[in-house]
Order: sequence, then C-alpha cells, then structure tokens
Amino acid sequence: MYSFGFFLDFEKEERWLNKMGKRGYLLVDKQVGIYHFRKSENIMNIKIDYRNFSKKSDYEDYLTLFEDGGWKRIVGSMKSGVQYFQRVNHEATDDIFSDEISKASRYQRLYRKHLTLLSSFLPFLVVLFMSGAINVESMLNPKSLYYTPGLWEATGFSFWRAFLFETPFALARGYLGPFLALLALLYILLSIKGLMKYHKRIKP
Amino acid sequence: MMKRNKSLPLTETVYYILLSLLEPAHGYLILQKVEELSDGEVRMAAGTLYGAIENLLKLNYIHQVDSSDKRRKVYEITDLGRDILKLDFRRMQHMVSITEKQLSDKE
Repeated sequence: MYSFGFFLDFEKEERWLNKMGKRGYLLVDKQVGIYHFRKSENIMNIKIDYRNFSKKSDYEDYLTLFEDGGWKRIVGSMKSGVQYFQRVNHEATDDIFSDEISKASRYQRLYRKHLTLLSSFLPFLVVLFMSGAINVESMLNPKSLYYTPGLWEATGFSFWRAFLFETPFALARGYLGPFLALLALLYILLSIKGLMKYHKRIKP
Repeated sequence: MMKRNKSLPLTETVYYILLSLLEPAHGYLILQKVEELSDGEVRMAAGTLYGAIENLLKLNYIHQVDSSDKRRKVYEITDLGRDILKLDFRRMQHMVSITEKQLSDKE
C-alpha cells in the first residue's frame, strides 16, 4: 500500500508510522513523500533518527550499533538523512534515545543540513536575480516568454507544433528562477522550523 | 585556588562511558558496561550513545583504536579523558566525604 505523507516533526511521523503498524502495515520504503507499506505481523515500535554519512564504514558502524541494541534499520541510506528503525528485540530499550537532549539533537542536525543546502544554493540564486531570470512581469504575461516570431498569429497545426515545441523552453525561461527561489525559501523555512523545535525541546 | 576545569562536572552517562573505556570497547560493549557499572541504573539507547561517542571524539577524551572487527569501531580513553575522569572523581569524592561529615555532625 502506498500513502502520501509530509512531516516536519519526527514525533508526529513516528506516531503515524506506529499507528499504521498497529493496523498491520509496516513501512518498507519511502521516496519523496510517498510511503510504501506492506502487510506484516507483529510490528514493533518504529523510531526515526536523522543523520547523513560521508563514509560507508561510518554508516556500517552506526547501523551495527543499532542492530546490536535491538533496532533494525528498515528504511534509510547513507545520504537519506532520515533513518527509520524498528525494534526487533524485546530486550531492547524502548526508544533509540535515552535522554531528551540527544532526542532533540535530530532537529539540530536537520536544520544544519538545510542551512548547508541553502548556502550552496544562495550564490546561484543571486546570479539568477542579477541576470533578470526572476521577472515578475513575464510571469504574469506568459505569452512574452515565447520567442518564435509570429507564433500567436499562426493557427492550426503549425501553431500547435511551434507552441508545444517551445513550451518547455518558455517554462524554463520564465519559471525556473522563481522555482529555485521558492526552493531556497523552503529551505530557509525548514531550517528555522528545525531550529525552533530543537530549542523548544532542550528547554527543561 | 586552582581554576576549575570547565568541562566539570561530567554527566552521569559521560562519566560511565569514560570509565568503561579504560579498556578498548566497541559501541554495544560500552552500552553493556555502562549498565553493569551503574548497577543497572543507567540504560543508554543506541542513538544516544552514538551522539555521545561523536562528542567525546571531538573533545579528544576518547580515540578510535584498530580492531579486527570490520563492522564495529573500537574506542579507548585518551590521556586527557583519563585526567578529566580523575578530576571528576575527586570532585565527587569531596562531595561524598563532606556530606558524610555534615550529616554526622548534625545528628
């Protein structure tokens, strides 16, 4: 079964996944917001960590420690950030974290990651603005994004052929800049959100 | 009076981790040793230990040592870590003796 989900809060996501687990659905994969569940029996607690790894040996050591501790990774990869674990041993600790600070530090790693993404993005964005790639006027008047001479006077087949041919270029011309700006804005919001959650949670 | 080390006092978990790393150990062994040394009082979870190890490596209180186990990194306390552990031990020793004294004087 596939289900769409978007979470900014690890606790909420965990609650949702565990509710699915109670109904007999175990998370087996996740791709850009699409969660893939499979029918399964005796699903135990699911918990989420957030970490990225640059070395394969680091990741393996990390996964082995969790596995030794009774927590098996069900979804995640070196660069996926979110790492989903399922409790597989009754002796295991109730959670993958045993204190509030380490639990909150997930959010710290999350906002740091978003800040890094943002900072690699920013120079690019500045160039887009300077070069006029973000132009509100042409966004409001999409016709001006088509450069084929006489396009709007043409009719029938010759119009559609030229129109469809140029549409991808016109979209890129008019909306790529704004799209990237929007993405940057999203990263800013995500960083702030993560930072706020981290600070809210480390307060005693 | 000597200026007090800024990293003191250690948290209970950090203290036990350092104590368990007087001998080389990998992650899960640390978890078991911490539980054993604390009489079962301190049960650390894997995610919390992973972050703590990362932090102690940064502080240079522990370091990674060679091991034959390819999947598990092995760590050991450094000289600096040992010094910090002893400082905190003396701090607590003082607290214990002064508390004993104060309590018996008042009774």
